[in-house]
Amino acid sequence: MTQQLSDDKLVAYVVGELDKAEHKAVEKALKSDAAARHTVAELRATAKYSRQALLEWGPTDLKLSDGQREVIEKRARGPRMTDVQVRPAKRPWYRLHARQIVGLAAAVIVLAVLASIMGPRSARVLETAGLQKSISPFIVQHGLGLREDMGASLGAQPSFVDDPNLNYWPGHNTEAYDLIVENPFRDVTQDPLSTFSIDVDTASYANVRRFLNQGTLPPPDAVRIEELVNYFSYDYAPPDGDTPFSAHVEVAGCPWAPEHRLARVGLKGWEMAADERPASNLVFLLDVSGSMRPQNKLPLVKKAMRLLVKQLGENDRVAIAVYAGASGLVLPSTSCDDQRAVLQALKRLESGGSTNGGAGIQLAYDVATRNFIDGGVNRVILATDGDFNVGVTNQGELVRIIEEKAKSGVFLTVVGFGMGNVKDSTLEKLADKGNGNYAYIDTFLEARKVFGQQLGATLVTIAKDVKIQIEFNPAQVGAYRLIGYENRILAAEDFNDDTKDAGEIGAGHTVTALYELVPAGQDIDLPSVDPLRYQRQTRLTRAAATPELFTLKLRYKDPDADVSQLLSFTIEDDDAPFAQASEDLKFAASVAGFGMILRQSDHKGTATFDGVLEIAEEGLGDDRYGYRREFIELVRKAKALS
Amino acid sequence: MKRAPVSKDAWVGAALERYEQPLLHYAARITGNADLARDVVQDTFLKLCAADPAEVDAHLAPWLYTVCRNRALDVRKKEGRMTTLQQGQAEAYPNGGLGPSALAARNETHAMVLAVIDTLPHKHQEAFRLKFYDGLTYREIGQVMDVSLGTVNNLVTAALMAIRERLRSEMDLAQEV
Repeated sequence: MTQQLSDDKLVAYVVGELDKAEHKAVEKALKSDAAARHTVAELRATAKYSRQALLEWGPTDLKLSDGQREVIEKRARGPRMTDVQVRPAKRPWYRLHARQIVGLAAAVIVLAVLASIMGPRSARVLETAGLQKSISPFIVQHGLGLREDMGASLGAQPSFVDDPNLNYWPGHNTEAYDLIVENPFRDVTQDPLSTFSIDVDTASYANVRRFLNQGTLPPPDAVRIEELVNYFSYDYAPPDGDTPFSAHVEVAGCPWAPEHRLARVGLKGWEMAADERPASNLVFLLDVSGSMRPQNKLPLVKKAMRLLVKQLGENDRVAIAVYAGASGLVLPSTSCDDQRAVLQALKRLESGGSTNGGAGIQLAYDVATRNFIDGGVNRVILATDGDFNVGVTNQGELVRIIEEKAKSGVFLTVVGFGMGNVKDSTLEKLADKGNGNYAYIDTFLEARKVFGQQLGATLVTIAKDVKIQIEFNPAQVGAYRLIGYENRILAAEDFNDDTKDAGEIGAGHTVTALYELVPAGQDIDLPSVDPLRYQRQTRLTRAAATPELFTLKLRYKDPDADVSQLLSFTIEDDDAPFAQASEDLKFAASVAGFGMILRQSDHKGTATFDGVLEIAEEGLGDDRYGYRREFIELVRKAKALS
Repeated sequence: MKRAPVSKDAWVGAALERYEQPLLHYAARITGNADLARDVVQDTFLKLCAADPAEVDAHLAPWLYTVCRNRALDVRKKEGRMTTLQQGQAEAYPNGGLGPSALAARNETHAMVLAVIDTLPHKHQEAFRLKFYDGLTYREIGQVMDVSLGTVNNLVTAALMAIRERLRSEMDLAQEV
């Protein structure tokens, strides 16, 4: 007598993980399957003993101390108290030369001057920044059962009980998003410095688009506003000096909070013509596991890679490594003189097996290092749906491997494919740690954007560890809020610390950050601390009496450098109303507004889908590739769904 | 937005009552130390104090376990305890006074079960304990461990089958229930 039902289905049955229909089906099948009945009896006994044994395990007196409990209970009762921390004495003020004057924005005066750089001034800044950084990842998983494409390794598929509480976005499964806690307004007298790393990733936009096109609103934590805003390129003038990028600041009224101001910081990397692109040493690391089988995964990966290879020439080399249950080199590093060999190798790839991303990553980096081109583009391009289910699947360990490998000078591009199974947070983390960028590709059009129009930006890093620090003038700005970039916040002292990793900028890339500013003197309800007993609050410098709104400082390293360069500008507000803002600012503001609505943000103010549409249309510009018009379509879809 | 009807105070208190012990054990297994585990669990509940009950309450258990796990992994990293438990290696809790699992068992069958669990890869152990000790659903375990439902299914099945094999050699399991 052979057993018809698979073991994992019987286990799921015994531990109550099957939904009603499956449960009934198993029960019915059991009637005519004596072997399975025997297995079920054994599993029941095993489960019972396991439960008992585990409950017995471990000392029962493992408890929090009374002091620890007290701290928790106190915190639960009242607002967060500010813990006092001792910090080393203030660093002296010192002066630095800004090396270059970069771009000028039309609406504001941008001055590159002898800038005063302020060391970290107070423990509170460090603390609040620290709090931001330690936001706990929270994963949202939801779904209707196992992935259909795991059939090969699992046999018959059990389907699982749906917990209605968890399944708040039905129809998508096992996608992981980190919890985003939006940046709150900060009081300038208490937190004068805002410090963060740039982020050129755009994956969240493509992901949001996928949800909307499928007819659901995206889960709030899938919406990373900075990635939405940065999906679009803006018409910032490229740098004219020998700095790798220019900076552009514009300040105007805030469309969703008329009494506030909206400030935009825009960076633009220098543009590179196709024939200027340095020689490339690329290693494609392609996930060919069973889950990659659907049309929008491996077949799309192959199309995207073909698109890329066709733009490469005799100075470029490509190797192809694949991983599934095991990893292997499909094509050793080959000159693109022989494009056909590369294209043929791509064509032959097929999917099957489970995913061990860890070993594949090791292999890909080894190949990239062996074929390293000094002064060239050395990059691993990882294409996956991110579901690493065998081998090194511990996210921390993968991240560690990549962090280690990034030191070799090989950069990483992570490209997420497919729907329903994208481990968004894993992939973004891998890219961050690997000096890399992260894109999400759901259609061939998107592949064209990443590997066609913006190939230079994808492949060629022109500056790394780009950090932004803004010091606000308390005489002008009462409070500020950085929109998005929640997982890119740095401690104030990290700005001058060259060992602290930050984001990269690629050739021709634009990076945009928006701040919502509350002018000084306006009332805003912020959690406050009691006045200090031993110190007087802020003493203003002479510069505070000027109309300067803030000082913008940028730090970056050349791609192969270890020491950072500093750029510094002061910004004034010329009181422009939002109606007079540039088309680019209008469009960026509409995208941010859209993001806030989707995130159900507390800060969305008067923003509505209709308002977003109106501003987006005003900010349409010439929209050469149609991306902005597509955005407007998405807003309409979201409006219809809400 | 709908609010949880109870006060924050009472809500956190109830969570503390229910999850203090299991979270401490979970954190102790990751950090290998009862004192570190206490710090981790304290941090977990402090984070809960800052959370919005309306958002968290519907999935409180996976939320707590996820925060606890991430915090514990951070702490372990900081403490230089990077070595994960290898196959066949029993855990040692040098400062916490927690012995190898099997020693805790008063009953021979239970000792056998715990001994098998000790030999499983760490991930299997974790998923298995979350299922049978902590009573999480597969879906919740997937959230906490950041793996797919299919992976959880595989891990729990493999672990339970391994234990069954061991027990089978000692008794007629099918007659036991």
